[in-house]
Amino acid sequence: MKQETNTRNRNIMSRKGTVKRQTTGHIMSRVGIRLPLILWSLAVLYPIIWMIIGSFKSNAEIYANPWGIPESFNFQNFIDAWQNYNIGVSLFNSLIVTVLGSLLTLVLAVPTAYALERMVFRGSTLLFNLYISAMMIPMVLGWIPLFFLLMNFNMLDNIYGLTVVYAVSQLPFSIFVLTTFMSSIPKELEESAAIDGMSPYGVLLKIITPLATSGIITVTIMNAIQFWNEYFMALIFLQSRENYTLGLAIDFISNEAEYTNAWGTLFASLTIAMIPVIILYAIFQRRISKGMTEGAIKG
Amino acid sequence: MVQTKKQKYLFLAFCLVPTFLLFSIFTLYPLFSGLYYSFFDWSGSAASMEFIGWGNYVRIFNDSIIPRTIMHDYFLVVTKVFGIMILATFFAVAIMQLKIKEAPFYRIIFFFPNIMSVVVIGILWTFIYNPSMGLVNSGLEFLGLGSLTRPWLGSETWALPSIVLPSIWAGIGLFMLMLMGGIGTISKSYYEAAELDGANEWQQFWKVTLPLIWPQIKVSILYIVITTLNGSFIIVQVMTGGGPNNSTHVMGSYLYQQAFVQYNFGYGAAIGVMILVLSLITIFILQIFLRRDKVQY
Repeated sequence: MKQETNTRNRNIMSRKGTVKRQTTGHIMSRVGIRLPLILWSLAVLYPIIWMIIGSFKSNAEIYANPWGIPESFNFQNFIDAWQNYNIGVSLFNSLIVTVLGSLLTLVLAVPTAYALERMVFRGSTLLFNLYISAMMIPMVLGWIPLFFLLMNFNMLDNIYGLTVVYAVSQLPFSIFVLTTFMSSIPKELEESAAIDGMSPYGVLLKIITPLATSGIITVTIMNAIQFWNEYFMALIFLQSRENYTLGLAIDFISNEAEYTNAWGTLFASLTIAMIPVIILYAIFQRRISKGMTEGAIKG
Repeated sequence: MVQTKKQKYLFLAFCLVPTFLLFSIFTLYPLFSGLYYSFFDWSGSAASMEFIGWGNYVRIFNDSIIPRTIMHDYFLVVTKVFGIMILATFFAVAIMQLKIKEAPFYRIIFFFPNIMSVVVIGILWTFIYNPSMGLVNSGLEFLGLGSLTRPWLGSETWALPSIVLPSIWAGIGLFMLMLMGGIGTISKSYYEAAELDGANEWQQFWKVTLPLIWPQIKVSILYIVITTLNGSFIIVQVMTGGGPNNSTHVMGSYLYQQAFVQYNFGYGAAIGVMILVLSLITIFILQIFLRRDKVQY
């Protein structure tokens, strides 16, 4: 702490025009403050990169030299994951749950967010607070009745049932973020459209939705990552292996690897699960970190 | 707006009713009926459902594993709050005040684990702790500390602390960004004034930076506590499943085991009610505890 403020002081000094020589002490403190940053970067990157590299190693190589660089790259692990563990089916299930879940959340959240943000009606604050407080409630209590509810609806062990559960579970967050975005849209546009004879449905679809695109994209990316990564509800609500999402398939492979030692296959499946997230993050890094930070700040 | 009252209400219903209906079915109803189920002895079939009043709650008080799961949850809460907040504050202050060129690099890298799947994080770290091939033990041997190697996740003493590290690893980025947002709004003139008054760097951190980012710190702590109490069981389930010998069970993973492995759904629901009550009480107490007058200079 002491060191970095030191350097800041130097910055202030030099901005004021007071020429201050950069002593060895200052250089040392600059390096000293960077060292933890660099070490933490390594702590984050190394396991991830190592996991991706591991997916190209043979099992023998993982045993002989688990943390080293592979001697040769081969895709055998990916082929094994595809053939022996049907990872392709799980990949497809995860994709369906993610895409349909994100779309359903939008269809449900956008009109409600608009009504809550723009329309005046009795109980609007109450309804808004109800949605928001659901973000803080531990849902684990609800999962037991939900299990039997899905069973009665014939939606247990069914990825479409899981999709609906996912979509509803992200409603509070989505409504919260969307209302925030919509409150920044100027009211005059809707008013003039209404004077021109546009119905409220038209206003919602043709004026509000396009103007809230930025918010909609943010919410959709956040939800998609959430659904793609989700594990516990899938564990409870899915049972047969052909319905497994990626998280469950990986967990299954991991438990099997205790006995089969198919570590390479495990790394390959972890890599498969990670790649879409890495790609999304590479494209939308700012949006994702901003969306999550703002989502958390609501308290 | 040119529309009749009837049209307005029709549109409102169109916007609100379908969403609220699904929300009621899939969120509100399960929560309330969970409360209801907690008064039954129930193994899953409709015929086996038997009203036992407070029986499940009496059982909670007599179950010797329950106090341990509560302890484990709060152990995770406390270690995560301190671990994440100290490191995140340090990194945030370092990055913001050094004004280093590669700051965006650190932001991007540190945040990434926040969007990784808990399954991936859990399995990755299970391998890092692997007794024979894992990074931790090989690292210790490399440093000549071979005597310190142990089966981390297989040890009753070390399994729970071993779960803290991946949780901190995965959490820091988000809170670092929240604190950086706070530091970014502090006017540089405060530091210049403090400088003129002869405050050293350490005093400036305590008297200027910390009070001014208190709102962000408060929100961060609350968020860590809420997410830990409501979600720590996921990484526990992935990494240890509550073992060895219940030494890592948290309330949520114990609920899962009781309800979905041993089919004691009524008892599981009662544990769920306990989780709800404890987390609401904790948040309430914390909010009083963290209340601190807003600083204005």
